[in-house]
Amino acid sequence: MNLLDIRNLSIKLLTASTPILAVDRVSLTMKEGEVRGLVGESGSGKSLLAQAIVGVLDDKWQVDADRFHWRGIDLMRLSVDERKKIISKDVAMIFQEPMACLDPTTTIGEQLEEAVDIAQLTGFFWQKKQQRKLAAANLLHKVGIKNHEICTKSYPHQLTEALCQRVMIAMALAKRPLLLIADEPTAAMESTNQNQIFRLLASLNQLKNMSILLISHDLENITHWTNTITVMYSGQFVEAGTTQHIFNRPYHPYTRALVDSSPKANMQIPLKSRLMTLPGSIPILQHLPIGCRLGPRCPKAQKACVEAPKVKNYHGHQVSCHYSLKGSY
Amino acid sequence: MLIFTLRRLNLFLFTMLLLSILSFSLSFLFPGEQIINISGQINTNPEGIELVALEYGKHESILSQYWNYLNHLFNGDWGISMTSQLPISNEILSHLPATMELTITALFIAMVVGIPIGFIAAINHRKKTDDLILSLAMIGYSIPIFWLGLLTILIFSIQLGWLPSAGQISLLYEIKQVTGIQFIDILLSDSPYKWQAFQDASSHIILPACVVALAPATIFVRLARTSMLNVLETHYIKAAMAKGLTFQQIIYRHAIRNAMVNVIRDVGLQFANLVTLAMVTEVIFSWPGIGRWLIESIYQRDYTAIQGGLLALSSFIFLVHIFTDFIYATLNPLARETHRGSR
Amino acid sequence: MARDNIYQEEEFPSPLMQLWFHFRQSPVVKIGFGCFLFLCFLAIFSSLISPYSPVENHLDSLLLPPAWDDEGNVSYLLGTDNLGRDMLSRLIHGTTLTFGLSFIVVLISLVIGVVIGSLSALTKGVKSSFLNHFLDVILSIPSLLLAIVIVAILGPGLSNTLWAIVMVLIPQFIHITRNAVEEEFNKDYVLASRLDGANSLRILHYSIFPNIIEKLISQATLAQSAAILDIATLGFLGLGAPIPMPEWGAMLANGIDLFYIAPWTVYLPGLAILFSVVATNLVGEGMRHALKARKES
Repeated sequence: MNLLDIRNLSIKLLTASTPILAVDRVSLTMKEGEVRGLVGESGSGKSLLAQAIVGVLDDKWQVDADRFHWRGIDLMRLSVDERKKIISKDVAMIFQEPMACLDPTTTIGEQLEEAVDIAQLTGFFWQKKQQRKLAAANLLHKVGIKNHEICTKSYPHQLTEALCQRVMIAMALAKRPLLLIADEPTAAMESTNQNQIFRLLASLNQLKNMSILLISHDLENITHWTNTITVMYSGQFVEAGTTQHIFNRPYHPYTRALVDSSPKANMQIPLKSRLMTLPGSIPILQHLPIGCRLGPRCPKAQKACVEAPKVKNYHGHQVSCHYSLKGSY
Repeated sequence: MLIFTLRRLNLFLFTMLLLSILSFSLSFLFPGEQIINISGQINTNPEGIELVALEYGKHESILSQYWNYLNHLFNGDWGISMTSQLPISNEILSHLPATMELTITALFIAMVVGIPIGFIAAINHRKKTDDLILSLAMIGYSIPIFWLGLLTILIFSIQLGWLPSAGQISLLYEIKQVTGIQFIDILLSDSPYKWQAFQDASSHIILPACVVALAPATIFVRLARTSMLNVLETHYIKAAMAKGLTFQQIIYRHAIRNAMVNVIRDVGLQFANLVTLAMVTEVIFSWPGIGRWLIESIYQRDYTAIQGGLLALSSFIFLVHIFTDFIYATLNPLARETHRGSR
Repeated sequence: MARDNIYQEEEFPSPLMQLWFHFRQSPVVKIGFGCFLFLCFLAIFSSLISPYSPVENHLDSLLLPPAWDDEGNVSYLLGTDNLGRDMLSRLIHGTTLTFGLSFIVVLISLVIGVVIGSLSALTKGVKSSFLNHFLDVILSIPSLLLAIVIVAILGPGLSNTLWAIVMVLIPQFIHITRNAVEEEFNKDYVLASRLDGANSLRILHYSIFPNIIEKLISQATLAQSAAILDIATLGFLGLGAPIPMPEWGAMLANGIDLFYIAPWTVYLPGLAILFSVVATNLVGEGMRHALKARKES
């Protein structure tokens, strides 16, 4: 059974004039123990999608979907509060810039203890404080911080970004979630720290069978750590499939362009020639193209692209394009 | 924390120095004889004036004159008042506590009323409550305080008869003046009517304190609202929501603390404004404070009194400013560091 | 990455026009702005508009209540005071004094404060720290006390009151200008100008001033409402305009003794002060709100 089953989720931004469709009918499924990558440029709506799943968007965003199931429970029928309750029990999220996501005037220890699940504590209330402290120390050990004494007493600005990100992961683990959504967790770090964090996430996935939705804009980096990948562009669904397929045989022109623009693919081109990129830039929200939003930039665009393409499924490899590259393989 | 204290102490001493230079130079700027301005002796004959001039080092250089002035200040001789011929330090000591009582009560009322209302306005942002609170705050901020004082006397004292309109306490109670702060004096005295005296003093302070507190309360409403709005937009509040905390918990545990930190920093700056309002209110309500004394001194051209009053009042305000700085540093660990880091 | 201009017909209004657009959005602010302009008009043309002279005594109609009362007289629309002077004319002339003077006061202190503030922001080191502490000291003296001291030095009278309030407002402008200029100096576009070879004065003139002018204007509206209240307070305490002049605060002080028999002599000047301060504050608030809305959109 799928953990998370989303079909045709749309997110509308209610402005003073017309509403803007920031995320246009995106589908996503997650199985247990799966590490899925969600790839797209900045402005592609991936963070919005993640926030919509967890339920932290404010009133000016309107979310609706054809299907939004969590472990079989239909969430669209419930009220917002009930939805939040069910989701927050099993889904956790970590963010970009971890230092900014921690309260600067409270110590790490206090914030960790806040995240510890009350239901897992037993005993009378004066014992609970001790248990909370113990639970917080355990969580820090789980993410690889050995000397928890110094860590719990410090304030967020006294730690490094990587350490803060580990603390955020520890706080996320406190609920024993079934799904961890990582929204560009390593965007603010150097590559050595990035590898540490990714290794930690991979070990958590293997040891606890926890599914991870890894959001990033760097396709090449993600391919080392994920089982499946979903690609988004400008709020629309582009392609989804196993990492092997996406990286070696991309069906959609956009995915092809992403793969082609990575440094590895550009090793063989002659000196002083241009790198292979798509011309133009991502459209701004006020001027979204109709139909397939890649249209103005796509090398294969023709008249039919004025209508948004439907999703085609080839043995688990989904593409949303009128002129997919399947035929060339 | 120690370095922070030392830096603040350093700042305090430097400011006191500057203030004393300012008040010293006033004696030269005021019309009339400089030596009379600084000492206050107007009735003595020329030999008397010569004696006083020697005391203050009139014939020596400016620096030694200033040094003499400082010496006089530290010895408690702030000159004598030109009108009453009483030592100014006594007058200040008898009047300043009443002003302290009024201003600190008013500050307290303004904070207790203004800050929660500002928070409520921010939480209900873009709804009607927010607009209503903002409009009321703007009107409260625009009322001229002397008009407000007169109107409240008219309504509450004369028409409704609920509260008295003048003085610190009814003259029937003979409370010995020990510290000058009425409430402490009542507790220290051994009059058999302590509780009634306490009630009477409270009813006397409510009206002036509320009048003084209105404009600062509206400023606090605005400050608290802005601070809370900024806090509610930050990433850590969003992360806390994703962590699964309810909105109530987030507000009470994280948002209020972070919002208060920014508000406290500006509270100290508002205190000078509050004292200005208190001075006018003291005149209207005949409150025996230093503001009323200073305004009467200027009617009577008592320059020595103005010098002394300026020094005393500004020192008091600056002390409160430093105190709030301390509280701000205690609450916000980031403020204790002086280096900016990579910014 | 530079954005390719695919849509040729699209044009973006200048920041000033955007500001005006956002300013116009709120109806309350528009009303406030209208009242502000009305007050300016009254202040300039007061001698032409008011029905009587403000100091003329009509000894046959002392202490007349306003026209809507039974004993009132329509030719004295808002009543008269104890010396038979028409309240309406006094109020209108008072606009020139209280409101008009506050405008001039703010203008003078704005210019002086901005010049000193921006020059002091260019200095660094001991001089700057000294100036900082000096400013702190002056800002911690209550404004009324400072005004009283200056009036004591210069003597009573209207022009001295003006100078007193100018001296009180200048430190606030210096403080704001200094902070704003320092903040802008740390930004990258100033660094780019400096790398191009511009000296400090040129940077101030071309790069920084256009960017801080809006902050200054919003501070100026705050300062104007404070100035109106200060002029009225000094008038009330008898330290400002001399007695016959129809300054609103002085009128209020005059009316205290007659509070029971002629309450309108107290209500009307107070309402006038309230009205002008609210109008100024509405304009200031509208401007700040428009600045924020423009930044967000």
